[in-house]
Amino acid sequence: MQLIQALLLFTVPLPVFSLWPIPRSLQTGTSFLKLSSGFDISLDFDNAPSDLSDATSRTLTHIRSDKLERLTVGRGANDAKAISSAPSISRLSVSLSKGATVRPIAQEAVQPLGKRSEGYSLTVPADGSQATLTANSTLGLLRGLTTFEQLWYTQGDTIYAFQTPVKITNDAPAYPYRGLMLDTARNFFAVADIKRTLDAMSMVKMSMFHWHVTDSQSFPLEIPGFTDIAQKGAYSTTQLYSTSDVQSIVSYAAQRGIDVLVEIDMPGHSGSISAARPEHIACPQSPDWSSVAGEPPSGQLRLAAPATINFTASMLTAIAKTLPSTLFSTGGDEVNDNCYAQDAPTQAELKASNQTLEQALDTFTKATHKSLIDLGKTPVVWEEMALEHNVTLANQTVVIVWISSQNAAAVAAKNLHVVHGPSDYFYLDCGAGEWIGNDPSGNSWCDPFKTWQKAYTFNPLANIPAQKTPLILGGQQLLWTEQSSPENVDSIVWPRAASSAEVFWTGPTLPDGTPLSVETALPRLHDIRYRMVQRGIKAIALQPQWCALRPGACDG
Amino acid sequence: MKLSTFVVLSVLAGASPTFALWPIPQQITTGTTPLRLSSGFSIKLSGIKNAPTDLNDAVSRTKGFLQNDKLQALVPDRGASSAGAVKGAKTIKSLTLSLTSGEATKSIAEEAVAEIGTRSEGYTLTIPADGSDATLQANSTLGLFRGLTTFSQLWYDLSGTTYTLEAPIHVVDAPAYPYRGFMLDTARNFFPVEDIKRTLDAMSWVKINTLHWHVVDSQSFPLVVPGFTELSAKGAYSPSSIYSPSDVKDIVQYAAQRGIDVLAEIDTPGHTSVISKAFPEHIACPEASPWAQFANGNATTNFTASLLSSASTLFSSKLFSTGGDEINANCYTQDGPTQDDLTKQGKTFEQALDTFTQVTHAALKKAGKTAVVWEEMVLDHTVTLANDTIVMVWISSTDAASVAAKGFRLVHAPSDYFYLDCGGGGWVGNNINGNSWCDPFKTWQKAYSFNPTANMTDEQSKLVLGGQQLLWTEQSGPSNLDPIVWPRAAASAELFWSGPGGDVAKALPRLHDVAYRFVQRGVRAISLQPEWCALRAGACDLDA
Repeated sequence: MQLIQALLLFTVPLPVFSLWPIPRSLQTGTSFLKLSSGFDISLDFDNAPSDLSDATSRTLTHIRSDKLERLTVGRGANDAKAISSAPSISRLSVSLSKGATVRPIAQEAVQPLGKRSEGYSLTVPADGSQATLTANSTLGLLRGLTTFEQLWYTQGDTIYAFQTPVKITNDAPAYPYRGLMLDTARNFFAVADIKRTLDAMSMVKMSMFHWHVTDSQSFPLEIPGFTDIAQKGAYSTTQLYSTSDVQSIVSYAAQRGIDVLVEIDMPGHSGSISAARPEHIACPQSPDWSSVAGEPPSGQLRLAAPATINFTASMLTAIAKTLPSTLFSTGGDEVNDNCYAQDAPTQAELKASNQTLEQALDTFTKATHKSLIDLGKTPVVWEEMALEHNVTLANQTVVIVWISSQNAAAVAAKNLHVVHGPSDYFYLDCGAGEWIGNDPSGNSWCDPFKTWQKAYTFNPLANIPAQKTPLILGGQQLLWTEQSSPENVDSIVWPRAASSAEVFWTGPTLPDGTPLSVETALPRLHDIRYRMVQRGIKAIALQPQWCALRPGACDG
Repeated sequence: MKLSTFVVLSVLAGASPTFALWPIPQQITTGTTPLRLSSGFSIKLSGIKNAPTDLNDAVSRTKGFLQNDKLQALVPDRGASSAGAVKGAKTIKSLTLSLTSGEATKSIAEEAVAEIGTRSEGYTLTIPADGSDATLQANSTLGLFRGLTTFSQLWYDLSGTTYTLEAPIHVVDAPAYPYRGFMLDTARNFFPVEDIKRTLDAMSWVKINTLHWHVVDSQSFPLVVPGFTELSAKGAYSPSSIYSPSDVKDIVQYAAQRGIDVLAEIDTPGHTSVISKAFPEHIACPEASPWAQFANGNATTNFTASLLSSASTLFSSKLFSTGGDEINANCYTQDGPTQDDLTKQGKTFEQALDTFTQVTHAALKKAGKTAVVWEEMVLDHTVTLANDTIVMVWISSTDAASVAAKGFRLVHAPSDYFYLDCGGGGWVGNNINGNSWCDPFKTWQKAYSFNPTANMTDEQSKLVLGGQQLLWTEQSGPSNLDPIVWPRAAASAELFWSGPGGDVAKALPRLHDVAYRFVQRGVRAISLQPEWCALRAGACDLDA
């Protein structure tokens, strides 16, 4: 009996806001509001860019085609009476703040980190009068439209909100870098899969797509002047990203408020270059892979060879100059010393130049990073380049922490910018078993599975001294694709990757000042998951639907 | 021993180590001659009088696969270097099917639901290297269907030409175990009919012959049972999230035509709280804790017996499961009516459970069904079960020997090898560091290395009917059904068809082949490795 009473208390409707990430300031009411059949969004300022018009068109389409029923017992059927007597809203007025410069969303989205203006204010009155959205930039307006879309549910033929009036004042992200990393080298993903992923990312206001495009397994990136590398290094000539594919992805992303950080991992993880340019690769496809690489196949750029340094720097220039982002990653993880120890040409070069391997890595890094800095780009590297090697990194270099969340403080201590990508919180591939063959009882190296709850409880400022906190740019969940492909990209990423999107947008506290908590997050996460499914993204069920319809009832 | 030697030799001798068949036939010999399918390739029935429609349909589907799979060989150049050999190869114009008896006495659908242990699934397939007609023979239409499935896996595509490099091919095949299953839970989250049909298609491609359909549970009751329609009207997630009698008939028929028997389960007396929506008087502690209730009293026993009788008529299978797992005694001691009933009848809980089970199983027997139960009914409770009852072992693989020791036939479904949902994290809400109760993830390699007769005497081993991998769907739905199941669930399909003791290193290239072919056929099987590895058999092994 006690249990039943407790349950009844829990099933009293909780304030289930559907918004994800939840705005940093939010006031809502309890009134119902219908969307008029003639509802429209007007851009009430001059010279609105076409990508903003496109964004408003998408918002109108989403509101009408989401057809999401409320996640309550009865799926909103009990709302029918309240809906029938509710006022109708017919207009959202969108405008830029006075004095704001009008630029396309795509241009705002690729501004340097820290210079982007993503904030917005949104008011939806309960009486049917027009809603208003204002921001200092078109990018802020896009974020506000994204919030607006999440307010609406469908019951029968009626589209309605149930928590008006809504007032959001200057919702702006806690961190500028809110990302997702996808590896398209272990297995190939078609352009359509990447665009669908970008759509889902924009639904939760992510701002960065970290594209780990090449690796030792394949090199699907076509680079002007270096097209033979993809022709021979891709899995097939149909499994590559042409220069027009890349432009299509980059502009699609930017129009959705997402900057694309392309990574060409080096000097490790580059064996696939050997198919076209064998002279630049040490220990390619060694039969004894485990002695010279973390995983098969092996192969690393001959970092000590001047010809290889020139080749690499030219290749970086050739691709980076085609990309609008101010960021570009040269990777730098898991450089295998043994591969170089066994490579006679590398040993000869080291001897001839009288360098140690570390000195050669420094030379290589300086040269390759110079090619990026000369283009006005900021280099991005994995944490080993800052913590394990003695290489010279420019002050503005961005370091992605992946080995352990505990290493972030050490990077910050070196006054380098930090992006959190720790395997112990954010790796989406963990927990699916060993993928190396002939290992029947093997588990994934980063077991267990990283649940959304685990990711959601990540503290970006743990052990970071106050004076170093400005170095923390944000973070991302990551999908390495040894065991993933287009078949499961949606289901392994979503809705889990939305966790960090909220952590890095909303920051440590909810709009009412209480800390983020998995209890209050779960009903909203169910909501964004069901909405993603309505939009064709195969996000998984986090619980039985019974639980999704009864907030709190399946908590432990 | 002789059989496996055969296999090893053929793999070692073959030009390509990626021989595509899954499950690997009991006996197979292959050559090294290229052979093309003629553009007008036909599949003929020879001397089969009264050929059933479902056999003709299976032939049509096979022709469809031969034309549409368009799977390139899993080698680095995807077969390009074989272009010359393929171009100069002889063409094969037809495959001829015949039955040993000459006459088709039963359709595939009828054969597929025959009593377990009496089905004839064997076949003989011969594909000459000289372009003369291939032949497929069997004792039953079901056997012919299995042979067609094998035939459709032999071919690759190179620029529009369908070919093999391994003619001549001779296969003599039959399953090691009669029960090769897959379990799907459609109660935690709902799956539309089309998802189930797609799953049945995939199952049939690896010769799985039983869908164990855990159709209802405490979370929802999507099964429309004639005479008890209130259960689904009030217990389904929504009026559209149900299986109507015509849906069930459609699923059962679709399955049977693909050689699959549908074993339905209505889990009793636990896992039934959703019944309280329509009949609250029959459920103890409903929703207080959705995993903890039981039924009691004569009225409830009779209600359940009638419900099972009615539900069982929806299914053509000779098998029906009453579940019986995880009966929660705490629920029971907290329930006033249960305690009153027990006092009145002077019974203990175990005695009441015995009565309940005897009555419900008697109702099934009367309907011509053999009862299937979860292992607790044999190992944890003192209930009377008919000798022919089939017991599913789920808690631990080590419990199988105990079930066999009690003389019951058993199906292996152990959570430590075959649970497909493990490793996805805890699904209970506010549990930040929770992992799944059955961590870690059960890899295909783990499932593949299962030994069905571990710790059993020869006599006890005869009680093993087979086994199945299982998907409980607390964290699954149509969105991830394909990727979480395939190709992993093919592991047990081969284990129980080809027999245990397979080598994961030799299996992996063929399993890649299965996964890639599934994707070509629209089933979203996941990549087991980077494509680089899939194209280079053995190169990504631990000991490569």
